[in-house]
Amino acid sequence: MENYLAALSLLILFSAFVLMANKRIKSYIATIRVQSIFIAIAVGIEGAKSLKTTGHFDILLVCVLIIAFKVIYIPRLLHRTYGKVEYRVAKDFFLNIPILILICCLLVVFSYFTLSTVEGINTGESNVQMVNSISIVLIGMFFMISRKKAIGQIVGFLVIENGLFVTALFSTKGMPLIIDIGIFIDLITAVMIMGIISFKINEKFDSIDTNKLKNLRG
Amino acid sequence: MGYILWIVPIIGILLLTAVKDKKLFPIISVAKASILLIAAIFITRTVMLQGKVSYKNLQGLLYIDSVSIIALDIVVVIGLLSAIYSINYLNLELLHGKIDIKRLKLYYILMDTFIYTMVLALTVNNMGIMWIAIEATTLASAFLVGFYNDKEAIEGTWKYVIICSVGIGVAFLGIILLQLSSIGVLKEANFLQWTNLYENATALKPSILKLAFIFLLVGFGTKAGLAPMHTWLPDAHSQAPSPISALLSGVLLNSAMYGIIRMVSIVNKGLGESIFTGRLLISLGVLSIGTSAIFIITQKDYKRLLAYSSIEHMGIIAIAIGLFTPASIFAALFHMINHSATKAMLFFSSGNILQKYETKDIGKIKNLLKILPVSGFVFFAGIFAIAGTPPFSVFASEFNVILSIFNNHNFILGGVVIGFISIIFVGIAMTLFKMFYGTSPEHLIPGDINIPGEIVMVCMLIFILITGIYMPLQVKGLLLSAEKIIIGG
Amino acid sequence: MKNIIYYLVQLASIILLSPLVNGIIKKLKAFTQKRKGAPILQMYYDLYKLFRKNSVVSEVTSWIFKVTPYIFVSTSIIAGFLVPITTLVKPNSFPGDFIMLISILALGRFFMVLAGLDAGSTFGGMGSSREVMISVLIEPAIFVSFFTLGLYAKSTSIYNIMLEAKKIGIPLLHPMFIMIFLAMLIIIISETSRIPVDDPSTHLELTMVHEAMLLEYSGRHLALMELGAAIKQLIYITLIVNIFLPTDQLIGNFGIASIFISILIYAIKVIAVSTLIAIGEVSTVKLSLFSIPNLAALSFILSFLGFLQFFVLGR
Repeated sequence: MENYLAALSLLILFSAFVLMANKRIKSYIATIRVQSIFIAIAVGIEGAKSLKTTGHFDILLVCVLIIAFKVIYIPRLLHRTYGKVEYRVAKDFFLNIPILILICCLLVVFSYFTLSTVEGINTGESNVQMVNSISIVLIGMFFMISRKKAIGQIVGFLVIENGLFVTALFSTKGMPLIIDIGIFIDLITAVMIMGIISFKINEKFDSIDTNKLKNLRG
Repeated sequence: MGYILWIVPIIGILLLTAVKDKKLFPIISVAKASILLIAAIFITRTVMLQGKVSYKNLQGLLYIDSVSIIALDIVVVIGLLSAIYSINYLNLELLHGKIDIKRLKLYYILMDTFIYTMVLALTVNNMGIMWIAIEATTLASAFLVGFYNDKEAIEGTWKYVIICSVGIGVAFLGIILLQLSSIGVLKEANFLQWTNLYENATALKPSILKLAFIFLLVGFGTKAGLAPMHTWLPDAHSQAPSPISALLSGVLLNSAMYGIIRMVSIVNKGLGESIFTGRLLISLGVLSIGTSAIFIITQKDYKRLLAYSSIEHMGIIAIAIGLFTPASIFAALFHMINHSATKAMLFFSSGNILQKYETKDIGKIKNLLKILPVSGFVFFAGIFAIAGTPPFSVFASEFNVILSIFNNHNFILGGVVIGFISIIFVGIAMTLFKMFYGTSPEHLIPGDINIPGEIVMVCMLIFILITGIYMPLQVKGLLLSAEKIIIGG
Repeated sequence: MKNIIYYLVQLASIILLSPLVNGIIKKLKAFTQKRKGAPILQMYYDLYKLFRKNSVVSEVTSWIFKVTPYIFVSTSIIAGFLVPITTLVKPNSFPGDFIMLISILALGRFFMVLAGLDAGSTFGGMGSSREVMISVLIEPAIFVSFFTLGLYAKSTSIYNIMLEAKKIGIPLLHPMFIMIFLAMLIIIISETSRIPVDDPSTHLELTMVHEAMLLEYSGRHLALMELGAAIKQLIYITLIVNIFLPTDQLIGNFGIASIFISILIYAIKVIAVSTLIAIGEVSTVKLSLFSIPNLAALSFILSFLGFLQFFVLGR
């Protein structure tokens, strides 16, 4: 059982790398869907375990919420936003892909070295899971700064939230239910707001290339 | 009594969504703000007498002690003043045709939601729910920043939402690590309660606590406008409508700083010494003051200049908290109050200037005192106040901060801070004095607009004059008890 | 005496099974494209036909052109001796033999690249340069994967790695093995010139990589080159099959009969993996040449993550 969770956390990390290697916006959305499916499986396993031992089904409820929102609703929302804005086939990132992937590699190594000095989480299973989870957050942040299009930045934000959720799941077996629900509401509102603002950016600037937003300098 | 703070705003927002007559919007808003103010006054009296307010329901979720009540009072008072100021401000915008009634309604609903989320963040005991409330403030104010829907407003909104959301995400990592450090020490139901964390702080695992603090500092520091995470602040504060800028500058930055203060007290008690947090906070504070000094000298937009001055004052508060001596924490709390009052007053008067001259460019504004006598005078006094001139209150609190730095034998730090504050004074004087000379453009009619707003501004001016010279004994007692809670007696 | 029989059995299995893999992949592709396709044993017929024909050698080539097919096929066969097809039979294994494996295959590839340049045609030169680029890009992944497996098994011999993997039971549930398995899939695709790296059935010379180097060959030379390539493919599939899907522990060790049964089961596993490759071929398109570094980087990351797992987790 423990091996399943370590394997799943590794697969989630791998999907973050695949996201980094993608070039087109439709593939970003598909990859993040796959990543959310992996997370839902991990939460489902945890929920089944906790159901058997303590009888609480709040973790299973969170699993259902993840499937409803992150796997179904948010990718559809992103597809709709992407459909409404202008599509221009332009290079979306600054460096080329192999360098981006190598930098992500370095981020994983960096998070490993940071966490190895923290006692309490630098041994065995929990170490590997924490390293994977925090690397996902760092990769999400790096994804956000390496993409120029607005929807790329929204996807990066979603990866950061995924990484945070995985960290909470693996380190403390999840947050209290009320906080989880609050986080979901926040996340969906944030993605909706970002979608609406991308749409407005497209209206005013005729593209969703955020490099064009440079009126406010100094 | 505390639940009024939670329930009344919701009733107000629901009423606003249902009502269609545009005359009723400001009435509902101001009424709600006044009820909140009265409730806050009662709670302040209770806190002064009993030390804290906390109820048994919801596992003691509602918790207001001296630290919270100071920040809460600032929120409620400035909320009421902004509501009063917005009445005529928005009516004029409606008259000029810049907005329509639907946007007016959206404004009031969002402003009330914004104030409600801040009240929520300041009155809960649970760090997780405080985090949710602070994230909600970003989302509630997103469309307020982009209210005017032009290119620059949308750019400012995008930067604001993205940077603050990422920052808050990093803060969440800190909260997860905080929870991780308390496994085995606290019962699961009490995991993120601040009171429980504070009691058992010495039993939490120190290295995880240090890592949690770094993440929380970066996360909440983004929201508080500490450099180098401040890049959203000038854009958001300058593009928003003026009453919202006052709320953002005067209130939101305080709420984020409140989160940092709560975290600092836990970590310092847990580690037993304040050097770790002190170093981080002082370096961020000095960086903030330095950044704002550089950018203020070259500003061409007066609202952006005011935003950079907010960054500077948040830096001063951060340095004071980082020092963690009783005198410096007292000065920090005092400075929070003074900065909010002065900055709000400045933003109100700059809103009047913007409506009259219809430009944000400093070079195009001339002969201010003749065109807008009262607002211009308030702006003039406010510039001196915010730069730290006696007898205004900001001088008193800045003086206290610097005094506590020197008392702690950090002479180099004191010298650097004084140097940067002087550069900022010179910068503000050089750029803003131009607005008072010269001949004004032809088409402007001299005369004041927005009479209720003017009354508000003059009251605030008198307030910051009095606070600079005299502090009532009860207020001093409140500040002292707050400082005792933070440092730990 | 026993050893000689084992070696002969291994030699026979490798040479006889390799064209079958190609035939199965082609048949499956035809099936998904709603064609009847060539019979499964087609490659045997092709090789038989080609061996009987004369080969036409261009006048401008040097001795490399004539020597390469023999070198290529012999390096493939020698490499075949290093990889056990069943762990019940210990092949010629010694410490460091996977580095030997990679180097021997690289020797064969080196001569093939030279031969592609030898005839002086543009397509041959193009194919050679592309082949060299792809093999250089995929090499870090190969080495990191194998070294991680070697660290895990505390030995650098492929036979010992297979024995260690056999002890786990189902290696594919171990996170490190999952990552290296995925990396090895991409490695196989690159080394054996399958879609998405290179289309083996294309007739457009501008898109060829591996085929372009074989353009000038005919007759028995062509037969030897094709056989060598097929044997190389079988070696890589054997590596995957025996490290990641070990079934020998289910058979027990009761003499000659068990060896034959294990060879049979090995053949079935090879057919299964070739089905997987065929499904992969029909599902994707050939990547443009400048996207191949992305794929190589991805496989490097996979093997690196596997290494990181091992490093952090211990065993």
